[in-house]
Amino acid sequence: MSFQPLPARPERTLRLLDSLFRRNKPAADPARIALDRLGRSFERARATAIVAARPGLPDALRHQPLVSPRKGVDAARALNRASGLLAFSVLTDSALEHYRGAFRNKAMFTPLATSALTVAASLHGTTDQRESAHLFRDVTYALAAVTGLVGTAFHVFNVGSRVGGFRWVNFFYRAPVGAPMAILISGLFGVASERLRREGPGGRPTVFGLGAGRTLATITAGSMAGTVGEAWLLHFRGNFQNPAMYIPVTIPPASGALLMDAAIRGGEKRRTAARASLWATVATGIAGTFFHAYGVQRMMGGWRNWKQNLLDGPPVPTPPAFTGVALAGLAALDLLEGDDA
Amino acid sequence: MPDRQPDPVEEGRFPGYDVLRKRSSMSWNDRTREVVDRRLAVERGPRTLSADAFRCLEAVCAQIVPQNQGPSFAPLAAYVDEGLTLGLGPGYRNAELPEAPEAWAKALAALDATAQREHDAVFAALDDAQQKSLLQRMQKGELSGPEWTDVPPKLFFSQHVLTDIVAAWAAHPSAWSRIGFGGPASPRGYVRMGFGMRDSWEAAEAHPGQEAKAARENRRVR
Amino acid sequence: MCADQTILANREGLRSGNLSPMQQVRAAGGRAPDPHVTGGWLSMQEYADGEEVDFAIVGTGAGGGTLAAELAEAGFSVVAFDAGPYFRPLEDFASDETAQSQLFWTDKRIVDGDNPLKMGSNNSGKAVGGSTVHYAMVALRQRPESFASRTKQGFGADWPISWQEMWRYYTKAEDALKISGPIRYPWGPKRPRYPYRPHDLNAAALMLAKGAEALGIDWTETPLATVSAPRGKSPPCVYRGFCRVGCSTNAKQSALVTFIPRAIRAGAEVRDLAMVGRIEVNKDGRATGLHYHRAGQWRFQRARNVIVAGYAIESPRLLLNSATDRHPDGLANSSGLVGKYLMTQSNQAVFGVMDDEVRWNKGPPSLAITEHWNYDDRKDFFGGYIHMSQGPLPVEWSSVLTGSKGLWGDALLGELDKYNHQVGLKMVGEMMPQERNQVTLADEVDQYGLRVARITYSWCDNDKAMIKHALDFMQQQAEAAGVKEIFRQKNDTNHLAGTIRMGADRRTSVVNADCRSWDIPNLFVCDGSVFPTTGGVNPSLTIQALALRTADRIKELSRRGEL
Repeated sequence: MSFQPLPARPERTLRLLDSLFRRNKPAADPARIALDRLGRSFERARATAIVAARPGLPDALRHQPLVSPRKGVDAARALNRASGLLAFSVLTDSALEHYRGAFRNKAMFTPLATSALTVAASLHGTTDQRESAHLFRDVTYALAAVTGLVGTAFHVFNVGSRVGGFRWVNFFYRAPVGAPMAILISGLFGVASERLRREGPGGRPTVFGLGAGRTLATITAGSMAGTVGEAWLLHFRGNFQNPAMYIPVTIPPASGALLMDAAIRGGEKRRTAARASLWATVATGIAGTFFHAYGVQRMMGGWRNWKQNLLDGPPVPTPPAFTGVALAGLAALDLLEGDDA
Repeated sequence: MPDRQPDPVEEGRFPGYDVLRKRSSMSWNDRTREVVDRRLAVERGPRTLSADAFRCLEAVCAQIVPQNQGPSFAPLAAYVDEGLTLGLGPGYRNAELPEAPEAWAKALAALDATAQREHDAVFAALDDAQQKSLLQRMQKGELSGPEWTDVPPKLFFSQHVLTDIVAAWAAHPSAWSRIGFGGPASPRGYVRMGFGMRDSWEAAEAHPGQEAKAARENRRVR
Repeated sequence: MCADQTILANREGLRSGNLSPMQQVRAAGGRAPDPHVTGGWLSMQEYADGEEVDFAIVGTGAGGGTLAAELAEAGFSVVAFDAGPYFRPLEDFASDETAQSQLFWTDKRIVDGDNPLKMGSNNSGKAVGGSTVHYAMVALRQRPESFASRTKQGFGADWPISWQEMWRYYTKAEDALKISGPIRYPWGPKRPRYPYRPHDLNAAALMLAKGAEALGIDWTETPLATVSAPRGKSPPCVYRGFCRVGCSTNAKQSALVTFIPRAIRAGAEVRDLAMVGRIEVNKDGRATGLHYHRAGQWRFQRARNVIVAGYAIESPRLLLNSATDRHPDGLANSSGLVGKYLMTQSNQAVFGVMDDEVRWNKGPPSLAITEHWNYDDRKDFFGGYIHMSQGPLPVEWSSVLTGSKGLWGDALLGELDKYNHQVGLKMVGEMMPQERNQVTLADEVDQYGLRVARITYSWCDNDKAMIKHALDFMQQQAEAAGVKEIFRQKNDTNHLAGTIRMGADRRTSVVNADCRSWDIPNLFVCDGSVFPTTGGVNPSLTIQALALRTADRIKELSRRGEL
């Protein structure tokens, strides 16, 4: 299977989407600039990569400022990245798993479509410096969240409808109950990111009218718990046969807890601890992809037998979900900076 | 390479399905290719049985497993004879029967003798109805005469006629194609496990009105 | 399994080239094949024939393979003999029923009685690893009362071992094989969680579940000795469905890929293509070693102790064939019971078709099980049975159709065409131990010049009552699951047991609770033949648990200087 998650000409597509959905927003006051060093270096690296990889990009993209003027927009774009990564994971994973399920129900195509759109929206958002929500992105993200909710219902029904109902074997081998949550989370991050681009009362970024940092931290921690639950279920099914299988059920939950701790009790030390653990979770997601690729090789016939083992082996596309959630957590941490006051 | 080229059965439940198309796929390992190739290349003539007995056996096989002459024809008599040539049993022998080569030789001779007595012709020369009737009576143990004393017809029919011939057929790729069996499966096994679930390397069944679709899918089976 | 298959298989064995494991000894020259690595070898210690080893073990299956590993790991010098070849599953195993009948014990045997047994395919292995190389991997515990059938259930004989002790060893055996089983097992006393998670259910198994739910009885995923996740060099099962003709991926945790490599790494020697013909006993009544045929000649291995683990036909045959002037009725036979009380298990089935495509050949053959009638005592017969979903491959399936329905011609082909819609439920039922069912020696000899076994078997009324009960119930269950065109396979039997029964009294048994001969103190028998009763479950796990216990007992006896 070869999927083309990126439109062939991203800049043109983005301009097109912009022209379709642009909403004019009054320019905001100059914002306080509180910059996170890691975020900056990430941004720089990304920009360098873009410039290196796409010499043909329009100047607007090539010469975009390396440092955003506003914390809210920075956080929003970090969330776009998180959301996009999650959506990409969902796109590839649901393609594999729903192919395995022979697309028996036409609804099984839905997550492919919404996650593809979400990837597009997130790419768009990542390169968008404006301090305003964007209708296309907003609608897409909302759609993703709804897809996640409906998908979860479908999956729960799928487990319960098999003979034996909600018994372990059905949770192990029927539609994974936790999987659609990834697109729900992706959507939530996206919706939150759109809210962040707008100034809240007192110049503080808000989401759903609440303090952006804490709200986002809570959403992230919840998402982390869900993602961990899913990993636990499937790694339990795999009997934790490789000690590395314990990593995603230890580091990510710790990072979720530390993030909540930082959000509730505040303090630079707690934020530092949370930040470190979240970066460890980012690494967990990346390493997991390689572990799963190795897991496919360990199946009978290895990668040569990819037609079977991509479906039966450990799912290669799922571990980046941790990276996505952790990136959102890092964005939340940025927003929490200065919340102690 | 196998002797014969893929010969999809265009009729039946699995139109266009030929298990041999999977020969180079991940479903067949080297060892499997080796044993199936050798099976398809079986020597056609008799080695242990006499020419007369072999002719009789061919006629019996054609009754037990009716087949079209064609590239997918499985030479069942040759397999039975080859088995006798190598001279080993299934791991047990009913105390009332002699060893398999002797039992087959006697039973085929007895069948011909009975046919001669009743129809004045060897078994192979009888018409379809006569052959069927003789075999039916053999299955029920209704044949008698001195020629049958060493090989009780009913026991021989169940222990050898049915088992040996049908097993040879069921071991043949033509049988696998006909019944829609996936055939060899290693290292690649199967993924989709529930009701109505078919992996892309399995035979597609032709549901009424969907024959063309099944045939299309079956031609893609690798 | 029919003659034709076997013969074709032996053709495989006789193929040209000198690499055939059927003809050429592989475990020699200080190395033995590593079944997990293509072309790989394990370095293996070797013993001279004249060297008196601590243990000479006859057979390398569920009993002998387990003991070889345990005793070698305990530091004993061990040589294990197997009449069969040393296969490399990754290279030697074809996906082919006929070729793979190379795994079965197909040497000459004679069957008689009212219900002559079918030997070969489903009850006798001839390979390093024994029948575990081709078994269906069903790994069950006998219910506690089965170990005291006489006192608790009123039939047969009691085991000289308590169920609590057996259940402790079941736990060890399950762990040694990393059994993949359900999280919660619905029947019997609480047991620890199975080491690996259950396998997915195929459609054939779902039919059993559907029927069970409709009738309101419990069902579960069958505990199986094939891994559902990687274990060392064993990849997880790929559901290829050829389990009963050998696993070419090593997902199956046969003795060949578990205990045998353990034994060799611990210093045991395994001798393939080594047929033991006779145990030598000195005038003091102690075994001194054994005569075996390997690479074209008869040899004699000296040993301090001999363990016989050739299963319920070959073990008694060896003891009977080892008769001397001082032991005219065979070794260890002062009770006169060697060869007696042979038991098989009833293996009747109902088959039918479903509207949906089933494709029952996908996955291990028996993924779902109900033990309901082992634990429900409202029955009008002794003993119990399980039943499981089925998935026979074409050769076996066609033999069911010819054997049960006598079909041939177009009628047969028409039935075979329904292969992908076929389902079945099959029992494994406890048959009563009867003295008249037995293994004796026939006058004919085999290729080694040894007298062959005559196997005499007749069902008793209790056996027939159970079979009827099971067929009726399974039919009801299949109907409840929507199965149509149901027919009954009334004549099948499978696993073996008995013939060298264990007991607490030397007058009514051949070996004691330690599997040690009452008559010859350095002779042990450890396989299914020591079962006093067979229970209503597949026997392999019980044999392995018993072997683990026997190993512990031998170590204990050795510590106490009582060997």
